[in-house]
Amino acid sequence: MLWFVLRRLAAGVVLIVAIAVLAFFLLYATGGDVGRRILGPTASADTVAQKNTQLGLDKPALSQFADWASGAVRGDFGRSWFTGQSVSDAVTGRLAVTLSLVIGATVLTAVVAVVLGVLAARRGGWVDTAVQFLSVLGFAVPGFLVAILLVLVFAINLDLVDPTGYTRFADSPSGWLSSILLPVIALSIASIVGVAQQVRGSMLDTLRLDYVRTLRSRGLSERRVVYGHVLRNAAGPALSILGVQFVGLLGGAVLVEQIFAIPGIGQTAVSATVGGDVPLVLGVVIATAVLVVLLNLAVDLLQGWLNPKVRRA
Amino acid sequence: MTTTAAPTDLPAVRTLERTARVSLVRRVLRSPVGAVSLVFLLLVVLAAVFAPLLAPQDPDFASARDVLAPPGGDHLLGTDGSGRDILSRLLYASRLSLSGAATAVGVAAAIGITAGLLAGYYGRWSESVASSVSSVFMALPAIVVLLAARTVLGPSPYTTMIVLGVLVSPAFYRVVSAAVAGVRQELYVDAARVSGLSDGRIIARHILTVVRAPAIILAAGMAGIAITLQAGLDFLGLGDPQRPSWGGMLSDAFAAIYREPLTLLWPSLAIGLTCIALVLLGSAVRDALERSGRPRRRRRRDAAPPAASLAESVVVHDEPTGARAEELLHVRDLAVGYDQPDGSTTEVVHGVELSVHRGEIHGLIGESGSGKTQTAFAVMRLLAAGGRIVRGSIEFEGADLATLSEKEMTRLRGRRIAYVPQEPMSNLDPVFTVGHQLTEPMRVALGLSRTAARTRALDLLARVGIPDPQRTFAAYPHQISGGMAQRVLIAGAVSCGPDLLIADEPTTALDVTVQAEVLDLLRDLQRESSMGVLLVTHNFGVVADLCDRVSVMRAGRIVETGPTRAVFATPRHEYTRSLFDAVLEDTAPRGPLVPTTQGAQA
Amino acid sequence: MLGRKSARLAAAGVAMALALSACGGSDGDSGNAGGSGSGGTLTLGSIVAPPSLAAAESSWANGSPYVQAVYDSLLRQAPDGSVEPWLATEWSYDDARTVLTMTLRDDVTFTDGTPFTADVAAQNVLRFRDGTSAQASKLANVADATAVDDTTLQITLTAPDPGLLTYLAQAGGAQASPASFDAAEAATAPVGSGPYVLDADRTVIGSTYVFTKNPEYWAPDEQHYDELVINVFTTAQTQVNAIQGGQVDATNLIDNQSGPQIEGAGYTIQTVELNWAGLILFDRAGQLNPALGDVRVRQAIAHAIDRDALLEGAAGGLGTVTGQVFREGSDAYDPELDDRYDYDPDAARDLLAEAGYPDGFTLEMPFFDIGLDPAFDLTAQYLSDVGITVEYTTIALADAFTQVLGGSFPATLFYLSEDSTTWQTAQVSIAQGSTFNVFHQPDETVAGLLSTIQTGSEDEAAAAATELNEYVVEQAWFVPYYRAQLGFASGPDTDVVLQSDNAYPLLQNITPAA
Repeated sequence: MLWFVLRRLAAGVVLIVAIAVLAFFLLYATGGDVGRRILGPTASADTVAQKNTQLGLDKPALSQFADWASGAVRGDFGRSWFTGQSVSDAVTGRLAVTLSLVIGATVLTAVVAVVLGVLAARRGGWVDTAVQFLSVLGFAVPGFLVAILLVLVFAINLDLVDPTGYTRFADSPSGWLSSILLPVIALSIASIVGVAQQVRGSMLDTLRLDYVRTLRSRGLSERRVVYGHVLRNAAGPALSILGVQFVGLLGGAVLVEQIFAIPGIGQTAVSATVGGDVPLVLGVVIATAVLVVLLNLAVDLLQGWLNPKVRRA
Repeated sequence: MTTTAAPTDLPAVRTLERTARVSLVRRVLRSPVGAVSLVFLLLVVLAAVFAPLLAPQDPDFASARDVLAPPGGDHLLGTDGSGRDILSRLLYASRLSLSGAATAVGVAAAIGITAGLLAGYYGRWSESVASSVSSVFMALPAIVVLLAARTVLGPSPYTTMIVLGVLVSPAFYRVVSAAVAGVRQELYVDAARVSGLSDGRIIARHILTVVRAPAIILAAGMAGIAITLQAGLDFLGLGDPQRPSWGGMLSDAFAAIYREPLTLLWPSLAIGLTCIALVLLGSAVRDALERSGRPRRRRRRDAAPPAASLAESVVVHDEPTGARAEELLHVRDLAVGYDQPDGSTTEVVHGVELSVHRGEIHGLIGESGSGKTQTAFAVMRLLAAGGRIVRGSIEFEGADLATLSEKEMTRLRGRRIAYVPQEPMSNLDPVFTVGHQLTEPMRVALGLSRTAARTRALDLLARVGIPDPQRTFAAYPHQISGGMAQRVLIAGAVSCGPDLLIADEPTTALDVTVQAEVLDLLRDLQRESSMGVLLVTHNFGVVADLCDRVSVMRAGRIVETGPTRAVFATPRHEYTRSLFDAVLEDTAPRGPLVPTTQGAQA
Repeated sequence: MLGRKSARLAAAGVAMALALSACGGSDGDSGNAGGSGSGGTLTLGSIVAPPSLAAAESSWANGSPYVQAVYDSLLRQAPDGSVEPWLATEWSYDDARTVLTMTLRDDVTFTDGTPFTADVAAQNVLRFRDGTSAQASKLANVADATAVDDTTLQITLTAPDPGLLTYLAQAGGAQASPASFDAAEAATAPVGSGPYVLDADRTVIGSTYVFTKNPEYWAPDEQHYDELVINVFTTAQTQVNAIQGGQVDATNLIDNQSGPQIEGAGYTIQTVELNWAGLILFDRAGQLNPALGDVRVRQAIAHAIDRDALLEGAAGGLGTVTGQVFREGSDAYDPELDDRYDYDPDAARDLLAEAGYPDGFTLEMPFFDIGLDPAFDLTAQYLSDVGITVEYTTIALADAFTQVLGGSFPATLFYLSEDSTTWQTAQVSIAQGSTFNVFHQPDETVAGLLSTIQTGSEDEAAAAATELNEYVVEQAWFVPYYRAQLGFASGPDTDVVLQSDNAYPLLQNITPAA
């Protein structure tokens, strides 16, 4: 088990290094006049050139990469070109915000999706039809429209929560909850739909399996069969999808943070990518990759716990 | 999403597969949802293709004097913030959305299916390469990568869609490789390999058949995602602002949301309805391909009884003289039917009459698809979804099982009526230990404590001839052999001391040597507790060896019944005699065994 | 939405960054509001995050509230743009106007305890000149800055610079503690002597900046709030949402076409017009596109555009149609020039035919998202009506300045600021060396008039300015469409006096409602 974890972590490090190198040179290739972008059209050409020199952009790509990599190895990922903030500070500070959203959405997704999926699979009939209908809607309606609608209705018209911004848990737990409520809902809809469909599908598949009949023949109650056995067996595929959805949620956070003006990593991802803030983009990319590697590891360990067949020594 | 576990006693399932393939389009069109979504998508495609003919105006013609004109008049859907005709733009935009989605799906399918087939079929090595590549793709949210890719590659929507295709190809890869890995283990692929088919042909013939369904559904879903994502990027202003696109229109409309909210409706509808149609089409295809819409799963046209047999009467042999033990089970005029999507019911068991006495083994023999298993399931009220007892009664110790509530049935199952299935491996829950599966019913049904249940389970394991009960107790199903598993299942069946045991081909899936041992075990257990046993089998040897009485089933009805000795001595029904002849000619009267495949999850 | 809206933001950023060169002004002495009401939190909305909080890297315009929160400048501006004493209480030029001597306050300390002295001030001025602020070049005329004694600063110039005092009232005069000069975190940990101190713990760089009252401030009457929060809004929608949710006290607007919603929420919108939107025909000599070398072709383009329709279509009517690049009220301004080119497609076609383009020609222009989408579409529409085919090349906003200023296109649609003086406007877009005379084409008439403006008497200069404007309009190097409104919204609890020459009101003019 320990060996398995270590091997996966090592593979993760390789993956992250690969992504970092790839991202660095791709972004470098975009080139452009960074100094001009930072300073705008009014700055003089001399000032722009000076800015570029200050950022080390006059050096060749390899030497820039060497500078960056030697710092990165020591945990210094440089400074944002556009705000001068240390990348580590910028990323860690904002990651906490985004994780509030994404973990909240994951929990909400898991709970609601299992309830909906089980209902649809067990009840069939109109319940199933209704869940399917909702799923199709949830899948088809772009998430950003939902988010905007939520803001207009609940924040503006009903004035129940604040329409923008983020309150830290440490500052006010209730404020925190109210600031992430709508974003989490907006974020979750698509993933709830996806996971609920998977839960329904694998529930139905599992319900058809022979051992379910055998379990019933043993005199186990429907509840025990469904929740004790079928759901546990159906959970594996659903967990895989949930894992994939987590990455999707990180992506969704990009839009949602923008719509709710939440200072998370998604907001940074957009502004840094659009602006070409290479050090910050690299920081975001690496942080995301680390997160995903850890997540996949956790999913695999959970899968092993759920299904002894895939458990590894 | 998943392939259906084919019920093992259904006839001619493969024939059905074939017919399904032939008439797929017709089947999809027959479901109203499928028809509507297919027609809608067709209309969108036509609108895109013929946009130049349909559009009332040049989509880029801007009129500053006509900004945000309301619908009606010259502009059927009004004009946008630059005074351009919304309908015309909508029509032209559909070209971009559809071709973009097609690009993304095409790229994803080409990469994902190829890699998935190779990885799934050739196993470890290629799988690890493909997985590491896919994990690179999956390690980042698509939108972040697309943002970066756009910076590098420029704002062309097709470049973006190609990148998206590459990014989402792991979805295809995962579905396909999982499906293939599942199928790879199946007997018929091995058989194909043994019979000398090349790998390529094996892939083409067997595996593509298996992955076809999930791939089609995935493609439909992915097209929806591509359209939404493309719209999202355009909405973000990251598309090509000079081309009309649904997302770009949404963005323009959004800028004017407080001035003319209605303009938001049209692109939203276009995106939403197209995606809805794609999703619905996907599920219609799935239903048509796999009959997973539950009630329509079993179309048993082939099992319909020949008209001539309807009139036939049952040949009943005389009972030998002497007192029989009390009657445990008496099935009268039992008919089992499956609901069809069109509201009708297809009957698969027609008026079966059958009785089992205490201490007696009653063999129920017949070909696959003759309805014997359905009869057995009906007695336990464990028919597959959509199946129900259409008429008749099942008397068990004075109660009619056909009319008991589900709760009362649950109380009877395990304790009074137990069941030994055919396939040992698929009848154990793979995620729990053998011990857990043995003790759980005892604790629930008999109210035993954890330790008492454990002691009893270990005793039972020893009793059914398991050499190391402790070890088997702690083992997971995949860690024990088929023969052991069947012993475990028998132990489980008898664990709560039932009066009636229903054994459905309990030895069919086992090695010949193990078969005899298991049969001996069953007989010993039956004698010890003087249970009544209903033994479903297709094997006359088993009947001769074990059964006191036998009923011969054919096409959903019993054609001959009586004491085993009498039936064997003087088979009177033509069908019984033909069965005997078949045994003598040493050809199994069974149809092909249809493999059960499961686990290809989307 | 984010890209487009953030583009819109960037557009506004461009506009306002441009507006920042609009400064200077007369020596008026109108005082500022300077109310003494105090307490509570002021939450401002901003549409940009500053590239750095270090004094030597800071900029003005939309960045001004960040600078003003932490730093004091040597001088201060009144709402009309005139210069007032601040850290410098008195100042005087020598006769040649190349040596500026300033008397500084002696009671000011930075928030890290370091005292403010003339030596520190000299260092700050030189650091700004040599730093990488977008406005560093404003101090390019500064030859040296020295401390005569603790409270006397002397700045020597290479040439007279009428804008210097204004620059010293803005970012160029911001005073940071010398201890923070070379600190590793200088860009995110500013140390000044200003009314507020950055609360690094609660600040999310790039999104939310939280400042708390400086308890030791030397001018406590100017501290109107206990706490100052500046939230960065990247989309028009979030901004309107925040306003409707009552989450900001005052903010400048990314898109002021949402006026009814904002006013419906009880906010007041004030507007200034600091920029014009329209075509810049860079290629005055026809290097990239020979047709543009002909004045008749340029005039034809001016006649082809329906400005009123464009103002309505592209800006919702929020602005004023114009035909000239000089600011209303400046000595070059002539209201009659606004009507020099009426919307007359026939005249345009005639001029094109005269110039030898009876069938029109193809004009390549960049297409980038600066929030002028409809204007791009409509421009192409109007030009195609007279036979000119516009071919847009889409370029990323991030690279737009580089490409546009790099001379890749013969013309472009753009926002350009209207500086307060003719001289400054000419230095931005007309003179041979100016940034927006992209091909740096010389013109004798322009050179002569500019020389008069620079060296002539006030009357001569004014006459030359008017003449210059007429000449520029006649040459049709620019086809201005309209002056765009910049909107600033404030809630019922907040009083705001707009700054006549800055996109963002100055901090001292944002006060609790009486």
